[in-house]
Amino acid sequence: MSANLSTRVFDSVFEMLPNEANPSPLVRINTLHPLAAEIAAGTSTFELFAKLEWMNPFGSVKDRAASYLIRELEAKGAIWPDKADKKGRGIVEPTSGNTGISLAAMASVKGVHMRAIVPEKVPEEKKVMLRIAGADVDVLTDAMCPSPGMGEGALGMARSYAKAQGDRYVMPNQYENHANVQAHIDTTGPEIWRQTGGKITHFFTSLGTCGTVTGVATFLKAKNKNIKIIAVQPSAGHDVPGIRNKDELHVTKLFDASLIDEIIEVPFEKAYTSALGLCQREGLFAGPSSGLIFEGARMVLQRDKPAQGLGVAIFCDNVFKYISSMTKHLPALAGEP
Amino acid sequence: MSYAFPDALVSTNWVKENLKSPAVRIVEVDVDTKQYGAGHVPGAVAFNWNTQLQDQINRDIISKDDFEKLLSSAGIKPTDTIVLYGDNNNWFAAYGFWLFKYYGHADVRLMNGGRSKWLAEDDKPLTADVVAFAKSDYKITAINADLRAKVPQVLEAIATRNSNLIDVRSTDEFTGKIIAPPGMTETAQRAGHVPGAKSVPWAQTVNQDGTFKSVDDLRALYKTAGLIEGKPTIAYCRIGERSSHTWFVLKYLLGVQDCKNYDGSWTEYGNLIGAPIERS
Ligand SMILES: Cc1ncc(COP(=O)(O)O)c(C=O)c1O
Repeated sequence: MSANLSTRVFDSVFEMLPNEANPSPLVRINTLHPLAAEIAAGTSTFELFAKLEWMNPFGSVKDRAASYLIRELEAKGAIWPDKADKKGRGIVEPTSGNTGISLAAMASVKGVHMRAIVPEKVPEEKKVMLRIAGADVDVLTDAMCPSPGMGEGALGMARSYAKAQGDRYVMPNQYENHANVQAHIDTTGPEIWRQTGGKITHFFTSLGTCGTVTGVATFLKAKNKNIKIIAVQPSAGHDVPGIRNKDELHVTKLFDASLIDEIIEVPFEKAYTSALGLCQREGLFAGPSSGLIFEGARMVLQRDKPAQGLGVAIFCDNVFKYISSMTKHLPALAGEP
Repeated sequence: MSYAFPDALVSTNWVKENLKSPAVRIVEVDVDTKQYGAGHVPGAVAFNWNTQLQDQINRDIISKDDFEKLLSSAGIKPTDTIVLYGDNNNWFAAYGFWLFKYYGHADVRLMNGGRSKWLAEDDKPLTADVVAFAKSDYKITAINADLRAKVPQVLEAIATRNSNLIDVRSTDEFTGKIIAPPGMTETAQRAGHVPGAKSVPWAQTVNQDGTFKSVDDLRALYKTAGLIEGKPTIAYCRIGERSSHTWFVLKYLLGVQDCKNYDGSWTEYGNLIGAPIERS
């Protein structure tokens, strides 16, 4: 049997991974539509949709990159489980959490071990989720006095494992590996094109590894070069897990400024209030990076007031893994007076 | 112009060529002590700055007896050449260097660029294997107490202006905007700096790849900051590790003869009752 997409019966969790035939949902933004007043006044017909990446089997947009990374390692024969005559070779990867959770979940099913190197400031829920998914987790001590050019951190530690223990570990490296971009060229882009009937005019996303923005923009711009690609970045010194300010982008080799029409900066605290608004006003349990992207979309649309068009905003993951971050930035949520 | 003591600094290539020399012993000291376990220079031993290089009861550096025990257990001999390296631009490696010198070890060197440079170079091997060295019987015969500044010397420097004081913390710590970088557990009651201290954040002494700047650049840096040549000099930071890095620069790269590390640093000074503090 293979997947029956109408009854949603699958042979394995891997069949649930998103693609054009089995896309993650697009949900219309209603109450919080940034142009609600213009629409009511009849001066705009702009439609805005959220693409709910948390509906992917392991809970985030990173299921796409992770499945491509694993597939590539398997095709190259670079990873294998423990065997009677040969020790297994697994994966080591620097991750803010989501890529690691997806990689660990898929690797575990295949009997392959996975080690995730995470920065200290990653929320506790993600560290525990990584262990639940079967990963060994190394939590880094954050630099005591960060300074430009140091940047060894998670990447350096993962590299150390891959270099010192190459018989046990390979690093797919989501920050450099084109498979991360290809995943979005092959799946996210075509899904959006089909789901919007080619009517998309604005695409809103964030910058992490930049796999999403580079892959989706590559696909959409080839279909229609007038589609606006808008990347939303948090203000410097931010505390929004999974994404980067432009000063932190040197870590990734997948960023391609020529594909992006605008990078809009949002005060990072807004990620949290915006996510809360989406939870309470739209019933969309969006995490902080989705909140940030939505706030960026709101700022652009209220500034430009397009009379027509269709926007899609990536909602990277949901809020459940960010309870500690949400209560830190919105203390009232902890229920204390 | 070359560095004042060029032998105190070795390149990653030098270390690679000397991996098999029995009289060269490599010591890794990291801020993040998990780095060593992931992989290290073959033959290196690791010392933990927190649990092995400090006294575990009194607030002090490791005692003479404990340092002898530590070096003996690592099989280090007084005649060995010690090469230190570590993460975060050799912060704690420099602290280790300072301790070795304080306890009178003759031949100590720092690997330029530290752990990240070694890691970035494809021809440099990395291993997770830990070598077990036969124990030695290390005896400390002389202590170079003049490498260390304590509170009385700092107060004297303020009163008499007989010494350069260098604050190597970030600008915000120096001006008193913050007491310590966010998230740090070691902190102080008061913010600011020692009166008369000049601000030269440690990071200004290194290039993007973590190697030290040229002697001319370093000399210009301290000159611009107002350091008076020929005067005794005291460096401090928050807990004494970043100041070890600057102490190394001043003493071994620029040749400042009387140079002390104030390892008590701001977590001591900023807590002292009655000590004068400057803010700006
Ligand atoms: C929560 C979250 N949001 C956004 C992103 C950014 O996606 P990308 O890495 O494709 O740029 C990530 C990826 O790390 C993420 O974990």
